[in-house]
Amino acid sequence: MDQLGLLMEGFAGALTPMNLLWVVVGCLLGTAVGVLPGLGSSMAVALLLPMTFALDPTAAFILFAGVYFGGLFGDSTMAILLNTPGQASAIASTFEGHKMANSGRAPQALATAAIGAFIGGMIASVLVVFLSPTLVAVSASFGPPEYFALALFAFVATSSVVADNIAKGLAALVIGVAITMVGIDGISGLERYTLGAPQLFDGISLVTVTVGILALGEVLFVASRIRGTREDLRIRAAGRPFLSAAEVKEAAPAWARGTLIGLPFGVVPAGGAEVPTFLAYEAERRLDRRRKHPVFGKGAIRGLAAPEAAGNATTGMAMGALLALGLPISATAAIMLAAFRQYGLQPGPLLFERSPELVWALLASFFLAMVVLLIINLPFAQLWSKLLLIPKPQLYGGITLFCGLGIYATSGAVFDLLMLLGVGVLGFLMRRYEYPLAPLMIGMVLGPLAESSLRDALLSSVGDPRVLVSSPITIVIYALLAVVVALAVRAAVRQRTREDL
Amino acid sequence: MDTTPSTPAPAPQATQSPAEASPRPARGGRSGLVMPLLLAAISVFLLVGAATLDAVGTEFPGPRFLPVILAVVGLVLAAILAVGAIRHPEPSVDPTTGAARPRTDLVALAWVGGGFLAFALLLTYLGWILAGALLFWCTSHGFGSRRPGFDVLLGLFLASAVYLIFGTGLGLVLPTGFLGMLGGGA
Repeated sequence: MDQLGLLMEGFAGALTPMNLLWVVVGCLLGTAVGVLPGLGSSMAVALLLPMTFALDPTAAFILFAGVYFGGLFGDSTMAILLNTPGQASAIASTFEGHKMANSGRAPQALATAAIGAFIGGMIASVLVVFLSPTLVAVSASFGPPEYFALALFAFVATSSVVADNIAKGLAALVIGVAITMVGIDGISGLERYTLGAPQLFDGISLVTVTVGILALGEVLFVASRIRGTREDLRIRAAGRPFLSAAEVKEAAPAWARGTLIGLPFGVVPAGGAEVPTFLAYEAERRLDRRRKHPVFGKGAIRGLAAPEAAGNATTGMAMGALLALGLPISATAAIMLAAFRQYGLQPGPLLFERSPELVWALLASFFLAMVVLLIINLPFAQLWSKLLLIPKPQLYGGITLFCGLGIYATSGAVFDLLMLLGVGVLGFLMRRYEYPLAPLMIGMVLGPLAESSLRDALLSSVGDPRVLVSSPITIVIYALLAVVVALAVRAAVRQRTREDL
Repeated sequence: MDTTPSTPAPAPQATQSPAEASPRPARGGRSGLVMPLLLAAISVFLLVGAATLDAVGTEFPGPRFLPVILAVVGLVLAAILAVGAIRHPEPSVDPTTGAARPRTDLVALAWVGGGFLAFALLLTYLGWILAGALLFWCTSHGFGSRRPGFDVLLGLFLASAVYLIFGTGLGLVLPTGFLGMLGGGA
């Protein structure tokens, strides 16, 4: 097998002592940040983004992979132990997971989550390895109309599916795309919306926006709510972190079903792992109702196993989609895309041709990260929860310091620090008034692609809009988009009628 | 410059229309209008920029094409959101739990945001270590720390550690400030 050979070479590249060290460091860092209350994996990646410039690209991305997956593990650890999910994708794990922890089965819950995440991530990574040539072949036939259709799909899907309020989601999207309008227009070479400031000729840096929205905005928001929040965080007693054979047998089908549900969402640009985790949870709950003795609501192991597997399956597949198509499906994947661009690399079909050693080493490091995470999470999950003992003032002081460091390190200019503060305030306002952040990130990342592909397509057809639906691929994408919008509208209408009752 | 935190505060009183005698306490408020206003401002900025852009000689979907679409969509959304914010002011009590909704702590915000502003403006003069320690201290103070001396020491320690690891070890250029000038530029 061609892919196996390439993957083996990738392992050879990833298994150097230095790169192995980066995997472990990434996993530890990611878990640590994920475990801290309120801090999710996307914040971990955002804070780390500016730090990786001192590394070579392969090491940097291996570190990222570790942090990303580690953050997911940490998120669910906290979701189970303290009912505080660090990221929306861990919310589904709190329902049954926290109940398990409350009924004295915390170690079993953590083990269920860790194994589920491991299975989902592993299967997804295997699929990515074998599917990536197909994805690359498909995306090689993409022209401007197809890319515009994909970007539009990502825009609408993230704003309508993830957001409770479609208007708020679209507003966040418009702001995100508007930010990318600043700077020199790539097609005409004209300078737009810079107010004549030379610092803005290259546009507003994605790194600044990422750190501002995801990290500094979060710090400001937590600061505004710090008084009156509960401090009674309890850490539950440790115990045997292993599952009995009966428990494994109980959880196994849920792990499998969760993985199956999660996989397809990795290539659909609909906001990441949030939707599949809820779907997996919902599916298990419905299956449970048909059993003789329903156990949901009392800490059902299946209700935890399925969303965990689904979440990591989606994340793993999303990495494949990012590498092969250059299409980020979630905020965190968007940050990874930004990181690739910082190194002058453009994910997509050409990346596999131009830098195969990087791609395959990165894919190999996914497997390594999964194994490392299983090792550091299964026995030591209880230890991680000790991180909660760091007092909040000092913790957030340190985070703010790192925000400043990260931005100053990338630009070396005070102007960017002020910009960071402005974006941080925007991030605070969006959190305060419950505007979703993911559409803004997606808009910021895909805005330039959407604009250039739209204009290229229209220029080549001399302004005839029919070019946008001229190929079968575009028609399929728009049809899918119509389905997604119809489902979102139906869900919104249902929710409204339920509220009225 | 937008000195951050004060924005949400004045809105509730200012926009409380006298005609509508709301049974809810004023605190529940209309500060939710901040986001629609911001969106409208961005849209207007896009329109003005498109109008003043000298795009002679560019073919049809030129540099003004997408900004104008965005601005129109943005204005429509701003109107929808503004109507939503006026018709459904934030309840002061959480409907699901019945607990009072957490208030926005403007003092804490001012400490964190102001601390960051001071850090940004003073960085080149104070140098990384002192400015970083200042940022750390302001933030932790805003978060309610009552151990100022400990925070100063911890901030200095953290900033110095960062300077050693990233500045000296990984080769990032961090400003030395007046200390560096005293020492003849390290």
